[in-house]
Order: sequence, then C-alpha cells, then structure tokens
Amino acid sequence: MIKSNSFTVEINGQTYSADAGETVYEVAQRNGVEIPTLCHDPRLDPAGACRVCLVEVEGQRRLQPGCAWKVDADMKIQTESDRISRHRQVLYSMYMSDHRTDEEGGLPEETGNVNQLRELCATIDPIPLEKVEAPRAARPGDDNPYIEFDPELCILCARCTRYCDEVEAVNAITLAERGSETTIATAGQRSLIDTSCELCGGCIDTCPTGALIEKKAPKLMPLETKTTRTTCNFCGVGCQMDLHTHNNRLVKITSPAPGETLNDGNLCVKGRFAYDFVHHEDRLTEPLIRREDGQLHPATWDEAIKVASEGMNRVKAKYGSDALGFVSSSRCTIEENYLMQKLSRAAFGTNNIHQCAAT
Amino acid sequence: MLTHEAQRQRERILELLEHEGGVTEESVRRVHKETGVPEADIWGTGMFYTLINKPGRRVRICDGLTCQMAGADQLSADLEAKGLPCERVSCLAQCDRAPATLDEDLELVTYHGKETGVTPDDPGLPMNLGGPVDESYSSFARAKELGAEAVIEILKESGLQGRGGAGFPAHFKWSSVLAQAEAERYVICNADEGEPGTFKDREILLRQPTKMLEGLAIAAQAIGAKDIYIYIRGEFTNERRSLEKAIEIAKEKIAPIKIHVALGHGAYICGEETALIEALEGKRGMPRLKPPYPTEKGFRNKPTLMHNVETACCIPAIVDRGGEWFKKLGKTEAGSKLYCISGHVNRPGVYELPLGASLDELVDAAGGYEGNPQAFSPGGASSGFLPMTYRDLPLDYKNLADAGSMLGSAGVVVLNDSVDMAEAVKWQLIFFERESCGQCAPCRIGTRYLRRQVDQYVQLGDTAPLTYAEDVAWEMEEGSICGLGMVAAKPLESAQKHFPDAFKVR
Ligand SMILES: Cc1cc2nc3c(=O)[nH]c(=O)nc-3n(C[C@H](O)[C@H](O)[C@H](O)COP(=O)(O)O)c2cc1C
Ligand code: SF4
Ligand code: SF4
Ligand code: SF4
Ligand code: FES
Repeated sequence: MIKSNSFTVEINGQTYSADAGETVYEVAQRNGVEIPTLCHDPRLDPAGACRVCLVEVEGQRRLQPGCAWKVDADMKIQTESDRISRHRQVLYSMYMSDHRTDEEGGLPEETGNVNQLRELCATIDPIPLEKVEAPRAARPGDDNPYIEFDPELCILCARCTRYCDEVEAVNAITLAERGSETTIATAGQRSLIDTSCELCGGCIDTCPTGALIEKKAPKLMPLETKTTRTTCNFCGVGCQMDLHTHNNRLVKITSPAPGETLNDGNLCVKGRFAYDFVHHEDRLTEPLIRREDGQLHPATWDEAIKVASEGMNRVKAKYGSDALGFVSSSRCTIEENYLMQKLSRAAFGTNNIHQCAAT
Repeated sequence: MLTHEAQRQRERILELLEHEGGVTEESVRRVHKETGVPEADIWGTGMFYTLINKPGRRVRICDGLTCQMAGADQLSADLEAKGLPCERVSCLAQCDRAPATLDEDLELVTYHGKETGVTPDDPGLPMNLGGPVDESYSSFARAKELGAEAVIEILKESGLQGRGGAGFPAHFKWSSVLAQAEAERYVICNADEGEPGTFKDREILLRQPTKMLEGLAIAAQAIGAKDIYIYIRGEFTNERRSLEKAIEIAKEKIAPIKIHVALGHGAYICGEETALIEALEGKRGMPRLKPPYPTEKGFRNKPTLMHNVETACCIPAIVDRGGEWFKKLGKTEAGSKLYCISGHVNRPGVYELPLGASLDELVDAAGGYEGNPQAFSPGGASSGFLPMTYRDLPLDYKNLADAGSMLGSAGVVVLNDSVDMAEAVKWQLIFFERESCGQCAPCRIGTRYLRRQVDQYVQLGDTAPLTYAEDVAWEMEEGSICGLGMVAAKPLESAQKHFPDAFKVR
C-alpha cells in the first residue's frame, strides 16, 4: 500500500500512527493495545456481529465495533471506560446465559479447542442471568467422519460460514433460521458429506468457542498436549502444521494461526485429518526386501536401494531403457521431481518420466 | 466478491423459492440448478423468511398488541377447533380490523371488526387519502422543469422528515446521493410496513398509490436514477393489486424511468433500510454495519435513496404548492402526518392531522375512547408505553423523543384499563424475539431473555425474574447493531417506569 495517507490517531490518550483503510482494531493490535474480539478473523471481511470489541469513538453517540470501524486522522478512541466495562460485563453474562457452562465455575465449557468466550468471561464478575435455552438446531444425522457441530457452544459469530464462503469459496454451510433460532446449517440439513463441503476443516480452526470440533480427536485441553511444528508432506505446497501429541501419540493436527506461515491458517482435508496412518499397525517403518523364500525381510536402505537398482538395470539390459518408466508422487516437491527426471533421463536413459499430479 | 452475473442470479432466488411454494430440499436444488447460487446459501436465505420457510397452507392470525386485545387468542382457538390449521404471526398492518387474519392465499379475512375510518376528502391536505385520484403527473412535469437543485431547495424549505420512523430530513439524503461520483443510482420505496400498530402505508397503497409513484418519480428524476424499486410486504395482497394498477399508468408517464416491484417474504426487520437492501440482493435480511450509508453504498453497492411510502406521497404536493405551504400545515413540526390509531377507540383508522397533534385530538378524529384509557403506545412497539398524563403532548419527533419515547411510524395504540400492562409488555416482547434477525448477540439473546423473564413474572407474579432486566435492556440499547435491538426493551422499560404497580409481587 502506498503510504500517502498516513496520519495519527489517539487511543486511550496515546498517539499512534495509522494508515487510511485500517481499522481501530488493527492499529490497536499493532501497538499492543488489547481489544477483545470473537467474530474477527483477519482473513475475513469484518462482520461486527459479536459486539465484544465495542469501543468509544469521540463524536460517535454509540459504541462502535473496533474490528470494523475505520480510523481517520486525529480520531480519538477509548478502549477502556466505565461504560465499556459495563458493556463487557453484561454482554459476556448474556453470552453465558446462551451457552453451555461447566458445573463448578459456571464458565463457558471447553471441548478441547480453546474457548475464547470462556477466557473473556473469566475477566468479569458475571451477572447470574437465567439460561435462555435458545432452540438452535444441531445436525444429528450428519455422519461425516471429521466435523461435529455443537449448537450449545455456538455464538453465531458466523466465522465458519464466512470462512467457507470467503476463503474456501465452497459455501457448504450457512446461517439458517433467524432470531434466537439462528443456527449453522447445510442445505436440507444434510450430512456435510452430501454437500459441496471439501472437509478442509478450516471452519473448525476459525471457530472461537469449540462449537465445531474434530470428531475423532480426543477432548484434551491444549495444555495437555505437546505441539510440534512441521511441514505437511502430502503435497509440495509446504503448508506448515502443528502436530499435537499426547503420551507420544499424535492426537490432532492444526494450522498455525493466520498470518504466521505461508498457508495463512489453512490446511486441506489431507493435511488436517489424514493422520491415521501415523500409528497404524500396517504402516511400513523400514525397507523390506522380498527374498527367495517369498517373504518380506527387513533390510537397510543401502541394501534396498541396491536391490532396486540391480533389478532395474537387469530390465534395461534385457529390454532396453524405454522398457523402464518413472512415476513420481504428487507428494514430492519440485526439487524432488527434478531429481526424479534426472534419475530417469541421466541414470537410466529414458524419457518415460511422469508425475502423478500432472494428469 | 460475486461477479455481476452471479449477483443478478442471487437477486432472483427468493422469488424463485416463492414460485416453488417455499423452501424444501428439492426446491432449493432446482433453484440452485437454475441460478448457480450455492445450495446452502439458498437454504439459509430462504429459511430466514417466514412466508416461505415452512411450505404448506394455513391461516395466519396476528398476535400483535391490538389484535391480542381484540381476542386473537380466542379466534385462533376457535378456528383450530374447526380444524383450520393456524399460525400466529407478527403484526399484519391491519390493526384497525383486529383481530386480523389472512387466509391460506394471504387474502385478508375480517372476523369481527369495528367501523374504521380515514380523514374525509379535503383538498387542503397533501396526501388526502379520502380525495380523488389525480393521474396527470403534473407535479412530475413541474419538477422536471424546475430541475434537481430547485426541487431539493423546495424540499428543504418544506422541512419534510422521513416518515419511515427516524424522521431524518429528506433533502439531506437527496443532496448526498446527488453528490456521489458514481452515476448508477437507485430509488427504493420502503413499503414493508410492519411496525406493530402501523397501517398508514397500506392506506396510501390502496387509495393514493399514484401520489406515491409520482413522488418516487420526482426523486428519481432529481437524483438521476433510472430505476425505482418498490419493496412491498408479502402479506399485502390487495395493496399489491392496487399498486400494480397504478404502475400500469405510471409506466408511460415517467418513462424512461422504470419501476420494479419486489415482494417481502415475511420478516419485519426488512423494513430496516440495509436489511431491505440485503433482501433485494437475495440475502438474509440482516442489517449492515453503517457507515457506509445507503446514500453512498446501497443497493448493488451503488448510491441509493430510500424513502418510506408516506414520505414519497408528500412530495407531489410539496412541489406543487411549495415548501412553505407544507411546513405551515404542521403544528409543532413541519407538515401533515398520517396517524394510525387502533386499540380502545371507537373508529380506528388513519387520520391526516397536523404534525404535533395530541392523543386527545387524534382520538377525537377516531370517534372517542372506548372505555377508560390507561395507556397508549405512540409510535409502534418500538416506542414503548406512555400513561394518559401525556394525552396532551404533541405527537411529533422531538417531543416524544424528549419523553423517552418516539413518534416512529405513528402507529398509535390505546389501551384501556381492562388490559394488564405486564401482559401487554409480553405481547410486544414476543414480537421482538420473533423478528430479531439474530445477527448480533445483545438483540438475539436479549429479546429472548426479556420475553422469558416477563413470561415468568406474568405466570408466577414473582418479581425475582425481572431482577436483571434493566442490565440486559441497557446492553441491548448500547450494543445492538440496528434499531430493532436498540429499542426492543422499550416496552418493558417504559411500562416499568410509568406503571410500577403492574410489576409488583402479585
Ligand atoms: C427495525 C426497523 C424497522 C423499520 N421498518 C420500517 C418500515 O417498515 N417502513 C419504513 O418505511 N421504514 C422502516 N424503518 C426505517 C428505515 O430504516 C428507513 O429509515 C426509512 O425507510 C427511510 O425512509 P424515510 O427517510 O422516508 O423515513 C425501519 C427501521 C428499523 C430500524
Ligand atoms: S470443512 Fe471446509 S469446506 Fe467443509 S464446511 Fe468447513 S470450511 Fe466449508
Ligand atoms: S460454529 Fe463456531 S465459528 Fe460457527 S458461528 Fe458458531 S461459534 Fe462461530
Ligand atoms: S439489533 Fe437485532 S435485528 Fe438488528 S442486527 Fe442485531 S440481531 Fe439483527
Ligand atoms: S470482533 Fe468486532 S464485533 Fe466481533
């Protein structure tokens, strides 16, 4: 962006520089001023729906959503005041009356994903409002293998539906009904499997409360697992991902936060969900060579490569180079594919080289 | 961002769903095939609107304040007993014919009504509901001659405030649209009349639709719009017939300006201007964040001038007879005003009076009070309740705002002492809970919370359920996105303030 439109704004009496087009939240965030948010996701157009980010803007009679309100030269903003404190106290309490809360603390329940509403509610002295028992419909018959929706924990921030639309361009899920009956639905309330859903799981990741969770992941709290950053090896894109392990077993995969790595918080169905093979009993963990007895025997990599190259050279000697063909996997990077064609052309002398993602 | 073509296809989905008889898995699939709009989007949009979300034939009985006072519950029970399936629905804008009912084809059925009235013919009145219909479009011709700037100047002189509820000076919006760089502009007429107690736009659509069309044409001409969209509530069957007849004549008179009619599909919130625009664009009627205002980015993200039916209807006379003339018709504020009056009065109806008339003056026009009045609601459910000590207060924008209420759409309802105020509050809260779009938490949760708490109070007579009502009401006003949530606690707050006895331990 060309910085011709730079100016300063005042937040809580401090002066900060800002650019035209930025929101109050963006300027605050950059300068370490905290404004709570729930429906905000930097990848999505602001919805201004959850109302937790309301701030005071000088000259505005009403509180305004920091996530959507654009800054202007010399704008004066307050993110803390008695009015804002009361607003947060009552609003969070109202959310609690519309949310499943846990037995002891009465705080919004956690399902294994962080519940940001719980964290916000822990910052106030809640008003004991009676439950409103909103009649939000679930999708009980949805037999898709990966994604579960719990309407009791949904705050209708619409991050999931906006993500599915604005980032994935899949539009498999939608807000349906209205008022207190509003819920997250599919067309005809069909199973996600029977919709355009690609099971990317991005909706789970963006959900701030854990209303959307991964069906097969155990409900372990974030503190109970260890995370290891790695690169997805299902394809050459190189998405970064965090492996969550518990007792040395992989229990869940998530994406690093939006903006942190090149995949910007996104993963696809394979990267996010296809990790069953890791602990599968049939998984090959070392090279095997079929010996004369017809059985597979463990071997070292050197031995295995030697047997393979001898075999291929035998074919070449008997039938010529073009009797050989090489297919490289879609999981290879471009560099690996380059090496593969080098192997095919330079080492074995054939142009019969293909990459499985090329068709 | 959708492509231009995808946007146009999206605009069609609600109408297509209606032709399909409502939202079903199959109808959604067919509309998807025809338009290419994702199935989930069609489903989610259709399920927002009560006229199409549950296919099937049934009678619709209003459960608005006036109709409840007129025994709508009993009527519903009687009809059900006769084997007629009934659905209870929000105010049908037929309060003068309470209890209002629509048959299976959305035709109005009057079960037992009082005599109703409108102001009789008086050529001195700008709207003159009881007067003859003038189809000459001479004011439109005059406005064309005068040119945009002169017309806006007259409008400014007239002091005309938007009659849709907010009372915003009309000329500001015209100038603002005119000042936009974008040349593609729209005029939209808001005929979604749904505020409980309000039925004035209905009478214009039935009696003087031509005046309204002429007003819209003058507006379109002035701001350089080629298309006028009229968004009329889906329950207005007779009104639509009357409007369409008038459009037949208007078409030639105002060419090349085009008139398009779009039907509402059952959602009060679509009376809010940005929700209305969303509905026109084939989306769920959830209000947008403002700014940007419609005058800058409205329908199809283009500058849009939206007016209420009544605002438009005032314009021809203003152009003809001048701003000063119109302004002087008012008592405390500019112009004449259509007041709807229903409830406990002898001749409910729509009366054109000087803006600033008092309740007593209005009820005079309506044949007097029925029984002993204890309260009135001056401007629809959103205005809450006032006690009879305010019977002399000028019913205008400023005085009512100062009294903690509002003129809104001037849907005045009188309640006599046979009504339990707490119950009246409950009826209003049922309305807001049902009609909240559900987008923002203060309104979505708050409307349900308050309705349930008042319900409990009415059932148990114990005040404990109301302990935190004030906090919730405060947050609804502070934190909601749009006007619905901001005022939805008003009926309870105002009744608690003015009728404390109705909220004691029983
Ligand atoms: C919840 C809500 C409902 C509304 N309903 C209506 C309506 O039914 N008809 C209407 O003309 N305006 C309605 N309005 C006001 C419109 O948003 C808008 O201000 C108006 O149509 C502008 O026209 P005017 O300037 O002629 O008043 C409503 C506003 C809110 C907040
Ligand atoms: S998994 Fe991906 S495609 Fe499926 S609903 Fe969620 S965001 Fe949409
Ligand atoms: S499921 Fe999660 S992301 Fe979707 S609306 Fe509910 S709380 Fe928001
Ligand atoms: S205040 Fe109510 S009607 Fe308005 S946007 Fe919020 S939920 Fe919707
Ligand atoms: S984060 Fe701003 S309204 Fe939700």
